[in-house]
Amino acid sequence: MSNGSVSKFYAWFTILGLLVGGLAVVGYYRDEYREWKGYQHKFIQEEIRRAATPQQRVLAERIPVQIRQIILPDLNRVDRCTTCHLAVDDPSYGGYPQPLSYHPLHQQHPFEKFGCTVCHRGQGRATTVADAHGSPEHWDQPMLPLRYIQASCGKCHEASDNPGAPLLARGQKVFDDTGCRGCHKLGGRGGVIGPELDRVGARRSAEWLRKHFLTPAAVSPGSGMPPQNLSPTDLEAITLFMLSQTGETAPGYYASMKVIPSTGEGRQLFQMKGCIGCHSIDGKGGKVGPALDDVGLRRTPDWIMQHFRDPQGVTPGSVMPKFGFTEGEARALTDFLVHLREQKVSLDLPMLMGPVERGRALFGKYGCAGCHGPDAKGGVPNPNAKTAQQVPGLIHVAEGYTAAELKNRILNGQREITPLDPKLPPPPLYMPPWRGTIKDAEIDDLVAYLFSLKPKEDVGF
Amino acid sequence: MNAPLPKRIWQWFAQTRVGRSIFRVGLPQSNLERAQAMVSSFLLHVQPAKVSRHALRPATTFGLGLISLYLFFILIGTGVLLMFYYVPSTDHAYDVMKDLQFVVSAGLVVRNMHRWAAHLMVLFVMLHLCRVFYTAAYKPPREFNWLVGVGLFLLTLGLSFTGYLLPWDQLAFWAITVGTSIAGYAPLIGQKLQYLLLGGHIVGQESLTRFYALHVIVLPAIAVLMISVHLWRVRKDGGLARPDEPGDEVQQIKLGQLPTNKSYGLMELARGTTPQVGKDPGDEVFSWPNLIFRELLLGLAVVAVVLFLAIFWNAPLEELANPIHPPNPAKAPWYFLGLQELVSYSAFWGGVVVPGVLVVALALLPYLDRRREGVGRWFARERTVATSIFTFCLIVAVVLTIIGSVFRGPNWSWQVPWRQPSAVVEEH
Repeated sequence: MSNGSVSKFYAWFTILGLLVGGLAVVGYYRDEYREWKGYQHKFIQEEIRRAATPQQRVLAERIPVQIRQIILPDLNRVDRCTTCHLAVDDPSYGGYPQPLSYHPLHQQHPFEKFGCTVCHRGQGRATTVADAHGSPEHWDQPMLPLRYIQASCGKCHEASDNPGAPLLARGQKVFDDTGCRGCHKLGGRGGVIGPELDRVGARRSAEWLRKHFLTPAAVSPGSGMPPQNLSPTDLEAITLFMLSQTGETAPGYYASMKVIPSTGEGRQLFQMKGCIGCHSIDGKGGKVGPALDDVGLRRTPDWIMQHFRDPQGVTPGSVMPKFGFTEGEARALTDFLVHLREQKVSLDLPMLMGPVERGRALFGKYGCAGCHGPDAKGGVPNPNAKTAQQVPGLIHVAEGYTAAELKNRILNGQREITPLDPKLPPPPLYMPPWRGTIKDAEIDDLVAYLFSLKPKEDVGF
Repeated sequence: MNAPLPKRIWQWFAQTRVGRSIFRVGLPQSNLERAQAMVSSFLLHVQPAKVSRHALRPATTFGLGLISLYLFFILIGTGVLLMFYYVPSTDHAYDVMKDLQFVVSAGLVVRNMHRWAAHLMVLFVMLHLCRVFYTAAYKPPREFNWLVGVGLFLLTLGLSFTGYLLPWDQLAFWAITVGTSIAGYAPLIGQKLQYLLLGGHIVGQESLTRFYALHVIVLPAIAVLMISVHLWRVRKDGGLARPDEPGDEVQQIKLGQLPTNKSYGLMELARGTTPQVGKDPGDEVFSWPNLIFRELLLGLAVVAVVLFLAIFWNAPLEELANPIHPPNPAKAPWYFLGLQELVSYSAFWGGVVVPGVLVVALALLPYLDRRREGVGRWFARERTVATSIFTFCLIVAVVLTIIGSVFRGPNWSWQVPWRQPSAVVEEH
């Protein structure tokens, strides 16, 4: 080979070598100059500016530029938000523009223990604005918009019991009053026409939920859910309540530190397990066991817990049976009893009510109003149903059914609804079978309530 | 002497005490030293001291095999770096991907390089296979090396496939679910094989452990061994395949007129049918620098391309693997999409018979096609039948892969990629 072609090799080596070297430099630059470093420099400059003494100034200058992270093994999270949000726990930064602003609530939820994404969602491991905040493609948990932030309170706190989250409590009330449970299961209770809602907050965005409440079929083609006529605030509230249903529970430390106890769960248990058969509250109830009004003053929580586990071990000669509560149930009941006095609990104890009143409560509990309308007056659209394209009201059932027939109808349901026009799609709403969901003891009360709806003075035609 | 700077640095270093102890020869100045440079270096002696001009021509091989080898080297290098961080646990693997992206220095670039080099290697191994077929380079005495090559092709797919699971995202989880279920269609052993691969009936921690072990030690070790055999056989089988007949580039000379100023290695006196016999050794040039420099330049170019891709395009990473939320459609890695398309017509025929027959036919090719014409020439006219059959299969495979990649939407229904899909019905 002539010398000329060897020189050509060297020329190519130079070109390709420079190309690889140039790419390496570009790669290094993009790797080294990350956006979070800019925010840290800003923070350090601000600290230097605020330094009053030379010593403070030296300390400020020594603040290292580095990734900051909160590692939360129990929550399976690593939150690097504080890499840019450097002053979240410093009240003197209140009112500063982001990312340097102070975050209230540090006292109640110390960030070293809670991190950020457990409430705000978003991507804790990310260190770029877009990846951490936005809704980057392929990330399950975009940040929760601030106006829905109360949804996160529901992870640990009872929705209805939390004075710090009024919108969440309102959402729960809208959910119960509208009768959403008539079609949807939540926490294992409700109908089967629509999907279960236990994890809906993790699957759906706020935007999706809002649209869905207004016109369900627009975002979920083929949905038979009737559009919900809600006030703007109620729409926000129910959307927020849905967002709170993520199926996540607080583990270990977080469950034990609930500032506001979950008395709601305890109250439910207290009613369900029939405690009032032997014990009394506020003078109502049985006389076999002691009254419980002041039990929280007389006994420690540990004593009450131990008493649930083994009544005779704590109080020899007690006739109280061992109920075999789970630890969680026992804790909830204990919470409820301990806080009985401060909560001014009013018990809707079924045994203190008449059958019609109990039935009315059941009508709400199982969400019958979702289809049959408030107070069973009807009016909920069911396109192509022969009954005026609506779900029928129930105020006249006393005239068409015997008690046994009505019970049968509720327990077995009616899958096929007679269509107005057989050529059109069948009506979306139908009566699901409630056997197994509505308990045997409850069905009589429900029938009694429905029979009681018959208008007293029918104006004849 | 006005030599380029790299050359001057090299010359200076090679004549120092340390340089001489390492390289012995220094920068070769004579033909003798050029031959010695090749023979006396462990890394270079794998290749011959002299090489034919035919082999150096780009159109002879387009360097496809060597490019595959370079990509393999890049994969080993970046793979080892990734192993310093990776944890083969379903709880941590995905977090490691995020950490590589957001906090590890150069973590993202290294992962991107690994990913793109892996895809490129699958592609270039396939192209290399096509080149060898179209130039009839599998014919005697190279039958066995073709067989080794087919093994390496399958091994490359296996390496890429096992690596696909490791990020533990939705893409990984469902591609492996689909891919291994294709294996499950094989009669008798299919189910057992799938169970053996996954360590269970669905993709889980055991699958990740197995795929990891296969990906980082078992398959690479086999690959290194087989690549060594492959390269060694290339030399033992007489170097790159060359046309038998003297073409315009080869001057045949009569025996007895050998020039006297040449030296010959043993390799040039090798057995009967080797291409060297009867040809003018004058058609050969010294490997240093003609072959070695070209190879090094190609290596630099490959590194440049992979680095370029890795800096400007990120490797895909979807949501954390979720066994109860399959994407619709769930797709296998791209090189198996032709297969998945076939399976969508018939699991047994598409998933077992067709690929099985094709692989066996590919492996047995040199023993089935025993005619000797056309060696070393692209699309030789004497091989029209063989070329046509191969091209037909190739086009079908490419078309099926393209259909599976871009023309298949939810429920594997036909979809035109450039048209906006109609509103997807959300499942409750």
